[in-house]
Order: sequence, then C-alpha cells, then structure tokens
Amino acid sequence: MSAVIAASGLSKRYGRTWALRDCTLAIPEGRVTGLVGPNGAGKTTLLRLAVGMVAPTGGTITVLGQRPAAGPAQLARVGFVDQQAPVYARLTVADHLRLGTWLNPGWDDGLARRRIRQLDLDPKRRAGTLSGGQRAQLALTLALAKRPELLILDEPVAALDPLARREFLRSLMEAVAEHEVSVMLSSHLIADLERVCDYLIVLVASQVQVAGEVSALLASHHRLSGPRRDPGSLPASQEVITESHTDRQTNLLIQTDEPVLDPAWAVKPVSLEDLVLAYMSRADDGRPARRPRLGVVS
Amino acid sequence: MIRLSLLQFRTQAVIALVTTAAYAVVLAVTGPGLASMYAADGLSSCRGGSCQEMADYFTGSLIHTLYGVLWPLSEGVIVLAPAVIGLFWGAPLIARELEAGTSALAWNQSVTRTRWLAVKLIVGALAAMAVTEALCLMQTWWAAPISRAVAQGASVGVGQSRFAELNFATHGITPLGYAALAFALGLTAGALIRRTTPAMALTLAIFAALQVAMPLWVRPNLAPPDHTIRPVTSLGNALPQQTGPGGTTFTLYAKIIPGQPGAWILSSGPVDAAGHATRTTPAACTSVGNTGTSTGANGSSSPAGTGPSAVVDCLASHGIREAITYQPASRYWRFQWTETAIYLALALGLAGYCFRRLRRLRC
Repeated sequence: MSAVIAASGLSKRYGRTWALRDCTLAIPEGRVTGLVGPNGAGKTTLLRLAVGMVAPTGGTITVLGQRPAAGPAQLARVGFVDQQAPVYARLTVADHLRLGTWLNPGWDDGLARRRIRQLDLDPKRRAGTLSGGQRAQLALTLALAKRPELLILDEPVAALDPLARREFLRSLMEAVAEHEVSVMLSSHLIADLERVCDYLIVLVASQVQVAGEVSALLASHHRLSGPRRDPGSLPASQEVITESHTDRQTNLLIQTDEPVLDPAWAVKPVSLEDLVLAYMSRADDGRPARRPRLGVVS
Repeated sequence: MIRLSLLQFRTQAVIALVTTAAYAVVLAVTGPGLASMYAADGLSSCRGGSCQEMADYFTGSLIHTLYGVLWPLSEGVIVLAPAVIGLFWGAPLIARELEAGTSALAWNQSVTRTRWLAVKLIVGALAAMAVTEALCLMQTWWAAPISRAVAQGASVGVGQSRFAELNFATHGITPLGYAALAFALGLTAGALIRRTTPAMALTLAIFAALQVAMPLWVRPNLAPPDHTIRPVTSLGNALPQQTGPGGTTFTLYAKIIPGQPGAWILSSGPVDAAGHATRTTPAACTSVGNTGTSTGANGSSSPAGTGPSAVVDCLASHGIREAITYQPASRYWRFQWTETAIYLALALGLAGYCFRRLRRLRC
C-alpha cells in the first residue's frame, strides 16, 4: 500500500496558535479516505497543507511523492474542493468550464459537459445565482474534469441540505468508480462518511487516534456489557477504548483482533459513529481512565 | 492564463474604454475650437518680441472661456486616472480572490501562483499604463496651442510652465510611471491586508501622499539646481511687497529669468551688494515703497516715481539683486525620465514583494 499523502511531524502555526502540531499520517492509494475529528482538530489545516495552499511551519508532507503545489505538473495531479465551494459569482457556468480548459492541460471537457448536463445546470447562468448544492457540484465538476489522481475535499457537504448532500456524494462516488481516483474528504457527518468511505482516520488535536479500513475497524471493535468488573482484568489482546459503569454493570468499547470468548460479556457490534465518538472522547480525556465513570458511551 | 485574466478583466476594461472614449470625444470636439482661437489671436504667424504679449493675451483670455474650464479638468482626469486604477484594478486583484475564497479555486488549477500573478500583473499593468498614457497623449494634442503659446513666452492664465506641478505630472511619460506604481501599490495593499475596501483606502492614502511629496520635496532635487544672480530691474515680473510695520522689509520673487525661457524657478530672493540675503528696505526706498503699496494693491497703474516699478528701481540703485535657484528648461526630459524611472522601479519592487508574499500566502 503506497501512500498518496504522507505527513511526518507536520506542524502549522498561525501567529501563536498551533493549527496543527506534530501530525504524522499516511493516506493510502486508491481509497476513499474519510477524515473525522472535532472542530479545531486540524482537519482543514491538514488538507490545505496537502494542496499547498499553506506552507508548513515544521515537519514534512509529500503528496503523490512530491511537495504540494511544487509546480504545474504536481498541481495538475491533485483536485481540491474547498469548504465553501468557491466559484466566481460573476462568471457563468460555461465561463468556469472555459477557465478549466485554459488552466488545465489534462482537462476532460467531455466529462465536464456531461456532468453539467446531468446536473441540469444552465451554462449561461452566473455562478453567483446557483444554490449551495449546485455551486458545490460545479466546484466538484471543475476538480474532477482536471482528471486528478487525488481528489481532496474539505467538508464538501457541510453546508448542503440532506437532499443536495446525498446527490453530491452520489455523483462523487460515481466519478470515483469511473476514474479510479484516490479521495480524501473531511466531514463532521459520520453518516455521510459511512456511505462513501472505505478508509477512516480519526484526528483529534493533530494526532491520529485510529486509522484503518472501515470494514476492518468495524470487525475489530466490539461493545461489551456485563456484570461490573475492573477493565484491568481483561486479556492483553483487548484494548479498552471507552468504559462506563453503573453500580452493577460495566459497558466497554474494545478493540481486539481476536474473538471475545468470555461468556460473562454480551458482545454487540459497533456502528461507525460509536467507534468515532469513542475515539474522540477517549482523546478528549487524554489517557483511557481506569476509574469508574458514568454515561460516557450511550 | 492570459485568457482567464482577460475574462476577469472584462468589466474593468469596458469601464476604462467607455471613460477613455468619452474623454476623447470631449477633447476631439473642443480641440479644433482651441486651435482656431490660437490662430485667430495671430499667434501662428507672429514673429519676434510681440509674440510674448500676444501669447499672454491668448492664455489669459482663455481663463474666461470653456477652454479655461476644460484645461484643468482634462489634466485632472490624468492625475486621477492612476489613483482610480490602483484602487479598482490593483487593490482587488488579490484581495477579492482571498475575500471571496476563490483563491482556493484559482490556485488549485494546473497553474502555479507565480504564473497566475505574473500574467495578471502584466495584463493589468500594461492596461493601466496604456490607458493613462492614452489620456495623456490626447490631452497633449488638445492643449498643443496652449503649449505653443507657453513656448512663445506666455505666463498668465492657463499659460503655465511645463514644470508646473499639474503640467509636469500630466504630460510626457510620467503618467506611465504613476499608473504602474498605483497599480502595484493597490496589488501590494491587497496582498497585505487581504480585504478589498481597506486595501483601497490604504492605496489611496499612500498614493496621494506620494503625489504630494514628489513635486514638493523630491522632484526639485532630482538634479542639482543652477544658481544665478540677476539685477532686479531686468525681472519683468518681480513683485515687491511691503510687509511688517513701517515698510521696513520687502520680499521679491522672480517669475521668469530673462534668457532662460521655461526655466523652473525653485526659489528666489533679494541679496544685497555683498551677496547676502536681505529683507530690509533701504531707508531711501521706504517712502517710495509706502506709496507703492497702496496703489499697487488696488491693481491700478502707478504714477511715475511711485508704485511697484519705482520701488524696484530704487532697490536696484541701492545694489539689491535677485538670487535665483532654478532648473533650466533643457532638463525637462531628464526630469521626466528620472521621475518615471523612480516610479517604475518602486512599482517593480512592490511587484517583486507581491510574488514573494503570494508564495507564502494562505488562501
């Protein structure tokens, strides 16, 4: 598995605030990678570093084996859709396609036109009059028609209504299937990530909490509930991610690559949302706590 | 990339073209009238010494005509053009992209930021310089009769030296430099502040300050001035003024230097026989001066033996001469080139800074 994005000790500081500090991660090739994490985790900064829109304060990042935005060739290999899906309000949809033709040697005009037709966008319409969903689709069209090897999307659906969100993700998935492009997208909305991602990274405070294939992650995490007991007494192969206790009962979310054999536990599968929240709340507390707490995992 | 800059430049270009065309029409319609007035005043056929009086009459009488209004207005447009360009072309170029977030779109195409800026900068700067210089050339054509009258010695009304602040800044090649600098200034302010409106305000403030400082403090020193001491009687336009109680002091300005037509007089002041600056009226001239003040101030002609000319004669007979610091008219193009070069160099410096900044700029 070769990495399309490899960061090591990556840091970015704005003034006195660290937007990203000492972040090390690798994004695999040929996957749709979801990046989740709470606000301020450094997701946007990480993505902007990856497209070369900001320069790192420290550490290194390589994208497709090169420094981000190193030159026109490198820029051509990476497509980017920003949070706000910015387009030129005064230019028409057709102007945007022409812009793409002029600025990208690998521009796939057939693809761009086909998508605009499918989306039912009037090419003569000014981009400023488009709805949020249409604007996001136009921005995605521009990024796709460049025919990049890697597509980076920063919260692409955060501002969209549920219907537009579904449409956007559906057309993203179609394009991914058709053009074999690696994708990295960040989102708050775990349900959306679940629909499109096959690889997941949970980032909290610049640190990767967990990374892996979605199916493997779901297979290796379990929710255990049973009579109250000390989590310290679990086998070494089982890592407790979160725990909650009542007077009589203990609820755990654990990671293990082996089957859970202890008959005292009722074992249930976890949802992706449970898993993400578990890692986020564990990171929030620093180290996994070894004292009884209530109501952490619902 | 050129096509994109032209596409995005459309609105500004149309406004600039319409404005320039309107300016051209006004000048084209009124220009022949001005030229025929020049001919009607007999200036095209005059020879010798009478020319100066006729030229003075021509430029003086223009003040009360339409041309007397159009002349400062047409020069004013050329003065304002670079500032407007800096504000509306330069300042938004980077700032608006950052403000609207479209920099994320523009800088993620297969074109480096450096190339993006280079093309935008060249297109914008060339257009800015072309528009301003076009205005300048049109006005030069229109005002040619006035310039000829000035060359023939006119010094009243609209007949002002080529070195006069407004004339110097609106003719020749200086508008090229102003346009380039104003554009680069707007660009830099936009890249620094990242917001269009404050960048426009900053551009205007700095450019206005520069355009005031340049003629006042910088331009006179672009070449070491010449000095001369002339007898006061030979100064056609010397103006004695009585100041202070009892008429004991006087001031004397030179408006022209005989034998140096079109020279730019930087400063002038009376000196005594020993060559020291003086302001004290010799006692013998005090009484002459008192009468001179009252009649001279009314602008009425003075009887013989009184009035301004009598004072000047009296001062001259007591060894008072006029020391003049000036730039000869022959240095006009040297000044034009030097000033333009300074502005272009500043503009290049700012542009270079923008390239460096853009590479680090987060969008």
